[in-house]
Amino acid sequence: MHILDLTISEIHRALVNKEITPRELVDEAFRRLESDANNLFETSMKEQTYKRLATLGEPEKDNVFWGIPFMIKDNFSTKGVLTTASSDILNGYIPVFDATVVKKLYQAKALPIAKATMDELAMGGSGVTGHKGPTFNPYDIKHEHIIGGSSSGSAAAVAAGIVPFALGSDTGDSVRKPASHGGLVGFKATWGRISRYGLFPFVPSLDHVGYFTRSVEDAAHALNLLSGYDKMDTTSSIKPVENYVKKIHDGIENARIAVLNQVYSSITDAAVRHAFDHLVENVKAKGIIVDFVDIDEALMRAIYPTYIVLSCAEATSNNANLDGIRFGQRKDGETYQDIMTNSRTAGFSPLIKRRFLIGSFALMRENQFELYQRAQKARRLIVDAVNKIFDNYDAILLPAAPSVAPKFNADSDALSDEYLIADNHLAIGNFGGFPSLTLPLGFKDNLPFGVNVTGRPYADADVLAIAYQLENIIGYRNLSTRRMKQ
Amino acid sequence: MNFQAVIGLEIHVEIKTKTKMFSTAPINFSMPPNTLVAPLDLAFPGTLPRVNKSAVEKAIQLSDALHMDIDHELHFDRKNYFYSDLPKGYQITQNYRPIGREGYLDLVLADGRIKRVHIERLHLEEDTAMQHHYANKTLLDFNRAGIPLVEIVTHPDLSTGEEAMKYVEKIREIVTYADVSDGKMEEGSLRCDVNISLRPFGSEKLGTKVEIKNLNSIANVQKAIEYETIRQQKMLLKGEAIIQETRRFDETKKATVRMRVKTDAVDYKYFPEANIPPIKLSEQFVNNAIAKRPELAEQKRERYTKKYNLRDYDADILLINRQNAAYFDDAAQYTQAYQTLANWVNGEVSAYLNKRQIEISQLTIAAHQLAELINLIEVGKLSNKQGRQVFELMLDSDEHPEAIAKKHNLLQLSDPNIILPIVIATLSENPQSVEDYKAGKDRALGFIVGQVMKKMRGQANPSLVNQIVTEEINKL
Amino acid sequence: MKQVDINVLKDATTRLMFTMSEEQYIKLEKEFSIIIAQMNLIKDIAGVDEAEPMIFPFDISVDTLREDEIEDPLALEEVLKNAPEVDGNEFKLPKVVG
Repeated sequence: MHILDLTISEIHRALVNKEITPRELVDEAFRRLESDANNLFETSMKEQTYKRLATLGEPEKDNVFWGIPFMIKDNFSTKGVLTTASSDILNGYIPVFDATVVKKLYQAKALPIAKATMDELAMGGSGVTGHKGPTFNPYDIKHEHIIGGSSSGSAAAVAAGIVPFALGSDTGDSVRKPASHGGLVGFKATWGRISRYGLFPFVPSLDHVGYFTRSVEDAAHALNLLSGYDKMDTTSSIKPVENYVKKIHDGIENARIAVLNQVYSSITDAAVRHAFDHLVENVKAKGIIVDFVDIDEALMRAIYPTYIVLSCAEATSNNANLDGIRFGQRKDGETYQDIMTNSRTAGFSPLIKRRFLIGSFALMRENQFELYQRAQKARRLIVDAVNKIFDNYDAILLPAAPSVAPKFNADSDALSDEYLIADNHLAIGNFGGFPSLTLPLGFKDNLPFGVNVTGRPYADADVLAIAYQLENIIGYRNLSTRRMKQ
Repeated sequence: MNFQAVIGLEIHVEIKTKTKMFSTAPINFSMPPNTLVAPLDLAFPGTLPRVNKSAVEKAIQLSDALHMDIDHELHFDRKNYFYSDLPKGYQITQNYRPIGREGYLDLVLADGRIKRVHIERLHLEEDTAMQHHYANKTLLDFNRAGIPLVEIVTHPDLSTGEEAMKYVEKIREIVTYADVSDGKMEEGSLRCDVNISLRPFGSEKLGTKVEIKNLNSIANVQKAIEYETIRQQKMLLKGEAIIQETRRFDETKKATVRMRVKTDAVDYKYFPEANIPPIKLSEQFVNNAIAKRPELAEQKRERYTKKYNLRDYDADILLINRQNAAYFDDAAQYTQAYQTLANWVNGEVSAYLNKRQIEISQLTIAAHQLAELINLIEVGKLSNKQGRQVFELMLDSDEHPEAIAKKHNLLQLSDPNIILPIVIATLSENPQSVEDYKAGKDRALGFIVGQVMKKMRGQANPSLVNQIVTEEINKL
Repeated sequence: MKQVDINVLKDATTRLMFTMSEEQYIKLEKEFSIIIAQMNLIKDIAGVDEAEPMIFPFDISVDTLREDEIEDPLALEEVLKNAPEVDGNEFKLPKVVG
């Protein structure tokens, strides 16, 4: 087993103890990247990585990210490095500035090795819609199962052991769902806790920077590094940053955990149910309160429709800058309108176009009240209902997904509870800006599935602490296709 | 049938801040293209807006000058549309919560009537990129993209071109005095769009609106409205329907000309800008902003007429040019002869500036020095004529007016001890004049005064001479 | 509320500055019928129309604004680096009319 297969904290110890050099880590990471068959990266940053290696200096004892290879979802602006959001419309686009979180990782001397594939413009949950084709789930060598999305490449890379850390983004569940499909820890903190400057916007009030690790402790380290007010993002929080790594060791004996009945009962997969029930028993056995509570079913069924209306509507506006005039791929025309139209026609996939049309329809003057504004109102009711539960409970615990990763081209009944609730409940975390973490729970047919814990706004430390305990109870830590079960 | 024009004006004002509305790129109109651009101004993906405090303060200052209710929370919205000069594909504006609401401006019309124009809203938004059109291409310069704009929209209260012109002039006066904008229509720092429809007198129902854009001078605002009123009237009298359209004013034709027909009102799909949190403006912040505002022309006018007792006419002339008024204010700290000072600024100084085609900021005589000159005239040390001579000399010299006058022997003699003997001598040399005066010929006095002045080579204080001659002649 | 028909969709497409093939319109109409059914689930929530629309996930109002201080703008090369067509130091387009 290679040191690269360890967690960030463990790799760091090895680096400090000079058991390995960053160069050796990076060499191995590129070996794995270049021989990977899961179609998980857009652009290799090999040249830059080796240049950075030269500037690393001595290992930094108190900096856990020093010398750590990582990947960046291709919707983060990286100066001098092609950034396409896996869409043809941004072919050739080389940003002139770095996203804040990318800058922070660079400053911590972490080593970026590649930009990861994703669903085009982050508008998807399958990992299938990027312009390079589908990204595969490393747990299935037959390539029949998705890894999910939209942070598909980031999830696949960490699951495949290429890197111990990858940046992603989470607008409806785009880190926390692929984490479930990939046997990973996928975390998104409170909205505004981490700066969005440089993250291509999809739905600003739902967008979160998120990331994948293979342990909860690593996720806490990442939050220590990445969180904090950024003057470049005036929606970022001015609340002081805590020492999240220290706090995960805080006990959770007095925690009160809720399981939402209406979501729980929409998940019928026997393996998932069994593992989840078993977990609940184990948690209760530790003296922690776990109650099954009710929430308005109509609100739960409205989560996905609310999400689809808000996201399609705002995505049309957030991608209106992609027109071939100042950057990105241009297709010529006789007039500026033709240039815009030809560029956008060629640049966006049909799926994206259909989403834009749905969104545009929802924003039309005649429809705004009934569609867009109603969705905004439904969001409030959903968030209010969840906040009411947080009046009495510190966290909500639920299976992250209805089952293991579905197969490509799997059909689903778009109006079933399974689809509406089981597959989409994680969006609650985006609607309310709640800190939310998925961690591995079990396996079925050699494919992983996860459990999700979500807490109150700004209770990032609590969510991490609870997840840390769950991780110990469950016993799965540092899973990857190279290590399978511990 | 008599028709009444119903006119509403939309004015956009470019705000003079150091940086743009939402980005930190500097504002400067004389820099080469695309050298004043931040990533946000090009709408690179992932960039975010940051609201400029100074722009907000100036919007507050203007809202207050227009007697508006000021919203103590800032909210922004997106106005979505596609155009070559709009990098984001939307403009950040304030659709739902303009910073200023429901104010007014009073205009003094030619016939002396006061007309109150109600102003519906004042809001902040951002400017688009500049397009340079050539025969076969258009080039885009993003230096202007993102510059703060304030939009001021009236209720359709105006009825004539004259009223519109006066309104625009008044707005220009306010924005220039508040130091918010250069207010130059010719340069585009103040833009005026007109919405005009006609309806029969007495009718409540509004007619079809025509929009007139791209007006480049205040005079053209009036001309365009007058032409358009007649055009619409002619059509309506013929029974023709007015087409809802956008027109521009053609200066050579002296007529409004169609730009494009408006089919439906464009649907901008407004929704809130979620990259900007709601920003609370405390009462203190709002009050401080207003207190920081430079004195408005209205406030100066009040001071000039009430405190300085200037005639309305003189005050108005001073206020035409903000910098002249500022110069006057400066000088007024050093003299109390306000009317004289006003006369000088409006007269001698302005004439000089016009002749040399320069602004008062380039005048080589400092305000306090002009004040000293005026004081010398007031106390009689200089006659008006001598004052003008000293003024000329001051243009090329840093010395104090009194020193200059002494050097060039221009000081007016006002010492009775010097004048008296000469008067007595002159009277004794002109017994016939004395007789004539005693016989009732007042002109004889003037003759004696003239003689005294001649002996003193014009440097005596004429009124003092007159006084002493009168006293002495009456003693005889 | 506007009815979903192909003309409305085609008009919306034009306004969004792209084109789509006929098959895509057919696919979209099918998707729309599902979406409308899903949106009706929102309509069914008791009291939804009386609720206040949510724009931010929680109260994040601030009381600070950016000071009006210049930060270095982009260098000209950076501005033009990604430009598909440049003329002099400006972005080039066919002549814009209207």
